Amino acid sequence: MGTVIAVISGKGGVGKTTTTANLGLGLALNGKKCAIVDFDIGQRNLDMIIGLENRVVYDMVQVMDEECTMSQAIIKSKVNENLHFLAASQTKDKSVLCSQKVEKLVSDLKAEYDFVILDSPAGIESGFEHTIEFADEAIIVVNPEVSSIRDADRAIGILDAKSQKVKQGHDVKKYLIINRINPAMVESGEMLKSDDILDILNIKLLGKIPEDKNIIDASNQGKPVILNEKSPAGQAYMRIAKRLAGQSVPFEDVESTQAGGVFKKLAGIFK
Amino acid sequence: MFGWLNKKKSASVAKDRLTVAIMTDRATNSEYPFMNELKAEIIEVVKKYVEVKEIAIKKEMENDMEAISIDIQFSQ
Repeated sequence: MGTVIAVISGKGGVGKTTTTANLGLGLALNGKKCAIVDFDIGQRNLDMIIGLENRVVYDMVQVMDEECTMSQAIIKSKVNENLHFLAASQTKDKSVLCSQKVEKLVSDLKAEYDFVILDSPAGIESGFEHTIEFADEAIIVVNPEVSSIRDADRAIGILDAKSQKVKQGHDVKKYLIINRINPAMVESGEMLKSDDILDILNIKLLGKIPEDKNIIDASNQGKPVILNEKSPAGQAYMRIAKRLAGQSVPFEDVESTQAGGVFKKLAGIFK
Repeated sequence: MFGWLNKKKSASVAKDRLTVAIMTDRATNSEYPFMNELKAEIIEVVKKYVEVKEIAIKKEMENDMEAISIDIQFSQ
């Protein structure tokens, strides 16, 4: 029986889909059988980020409506055989989801995989609620920026109210990923420190991702940045994936320009 | 160039503003899922003894403590 993780944020555009793709692939690279599911009905995106957009035949709504079988709809990654993907419906809207169907889909996947990662739509509407309803854990993605953090707090509040695990008297585990950290700005006091964000949101840190132009390059190609071992964001995602896989990986200081050796040090001085 | 030395850094302004905004959000948004049922049942019970004009149920938060405040107004 696997673990179901919902990737949520509240605010859009903070890196949920990128996080889902990279952590899914990262877990697969660490030997875990992993399914990633795009729950953003009507705005399919995860397929592009992992480079599988040409392979989508059936989507998860068709699986739920029994228009096809799960194995017909599942797409296997070309990069790693442990990673499987289920696409969102592009044509239908999010009102097609209902709790019973989502519950069946999620529990079927949970029986097959070590990890099932659900990429939530932005916002706190029904699509979001369906994503969190049957999740065992949630990863909250924020940017170090006021509107993202405020919206994340709201999303966490709804998670605590609507999660089936909470309703059954259990805890739904919550982890924070702080994405798009600009070390120079943190050092100069123009960007919130991760400690401040953790203070405000009061949840456990899973990892910090530095701002990195390799992310755009990776999504241009449909090859998640975690495959680029030289990229700081890719390295950060790999550390997080290993933590999820149960390894103990120390937190790197991505909030300092000094972290990257003498050239970065010099660059820091002249900033 | 050194103008920022004299004024508060914007990250700490952000922290202060966020702390206040989120505290307000939590106080107004957070409701227990059973609030409506609870309210209906309390009205039923109190009605046996006195006439109720209005009942207000609120979730209150202070630091880490959570409480429910119930305000019952009798009709005269």
